[in-house]
Amino acid sequence: MNQGVLLCKLDDLPDNSSRGFLPDAQGQDTVFIVRRGSKLYGYSDVCPHYGDTALPWKKDVYLDAGGDYIVCAAHGALFTPDTGECVKGPCRGDFLTPLKITVTAEQDVVLLCESRGKEQ
Amino acid sequence: MNIIGPDLLIFGVDDVEACKQFALDYGLTQASEHRFVALDGTGIDIYSKDDSCLPAPLETGSSIRKTIYGVADTATVDAIYDELSKDREVKRLDDGSIEAVDDMGFVLGFQVTMRKPLDMPAEKINAPGAPAQRPANETGVSKDFTPEPRTLSHVVYFVPDYKKAEAFYAERLGFITTDRFSHVGPFMRPAGTTDHHTLFFLNTPPHMKGIEHFTFHMSGPTTVVQAGNRMVEKGYQSFWGPGRHIFGSNWFWYFKSPFGCNMEFDADMDLHDDNWDAREALPGADNSQVFLLQYREKWAPMGPPPPKG
Repeated sequence: MNQGVLLCKLDDLPDNSSRGFLPDAQGQDTVFIVRRGSKLYGYSDVCPHYGDTALPWKKDVYLDAGGDYIVCAAHGALFTPDTGECVKGPCRGDFLTPLKITVTAEQDVVLLCESRGKEQ
Repeated sequence: MNIIGPDLLIFGVDDVEACKQFALDYGLTQASEHRFVALDGTGIDIYSKDDSCLPAPLETGSSIRKTIYGVADTATVDAIYDELSKDREVKRLDDGSIEAVDDMGFVLGFQVTMRKPLDMPAEKINAPGAPAQRPANETGVSKDFTPEPRTLSHVVYFVPDYKKAEAFYAERLGFITTDRFSHVGPFMRPAGTTDHHTLFFLNTPPHMKGIEHFTFHMSGPTTVVQAGNRMVEKGYQSFWGPGRHIFGSNWFWYFKSPFGCNMEFDADMDLHDDNWDAREALPGADNSQVFLLQYREKWAPMGPPPPKG
């Protein structure tokens, strides 16, 4: 069975919202989740442009104003929330690093540690 | 060409209210519905990307829609009009400014500068052996702090052909290259300022063309760091800094922003005149800064160990 990290309760993630978790020593989150209806999409908070910088200009603000795309605020790159593909911006054609997220019977949102990849 | 420097950057953005709040928190003053200014009146205009009053966007959709340069006088505006009219359309606008498109596709404006002369001291420091800049009983810092960006400093563009871009600004507008990163691009200053650069290019694939960052000059290193610290405390996220560049010697702290580009605080930039020979260095971390620091929440060592619980 996977070891997981409890991130929040499902109710803490309103539909069409985004939220960051697991801050580093500088206080910047290292992973984030976008909720679309019943689906949760989790990614490492690292833009593929430089591979070393986080996406949002402000905590938890990962989506554009219309809620259609994930945005990297450094240079305005746009990513599709469901696939993580960059469709506009410096890293066009590259992908955010996806994470495995599960929701338990208790409605806990859990990051499965085996999926953290580069975060380890 | 007596071009002094950038007067105004006009943006078409995705989230107008977020950008306006960001501009206020950065320390700019709202002068009108769309305009946010520094102490000398230079600044930025914030519009929705769909606003029909804006010039057309670059094909990449970059948020920068126009860069307006301030020049010394109407004779300079006319001289630029004559020069650029040789090979492109130049519009005369109702406000007396002119508008044209550079060789990369960026929309430019030129106007008699709207900047007001500033008369205020730089951040003062004391050092042994040097005359005191702060006399006895004048303290250097306070926790009470309001960021006061002084003037629009520089803008940086991603361009697909830095040689072509450099040639346009040098040959058509009289900009001077002060330093350069090999195979990346030049730092340039217009003839009407001694600032190390008001313009820098980063050579990138065509799909990246657009604004990389913009910044305002602060009064000194301390106010760069205090202003940045305040941004972090307000929940904004650092991109790079604080640190000090080598080319230009300016202190920097870059923040990601809702403008679709980074926004920087800078201070204490080198000044150059025509007796300067441009340097060249390879790009990369080691040549980009003399040091790079990172934010940490306030902390202090203080006395004995904490009481045992």
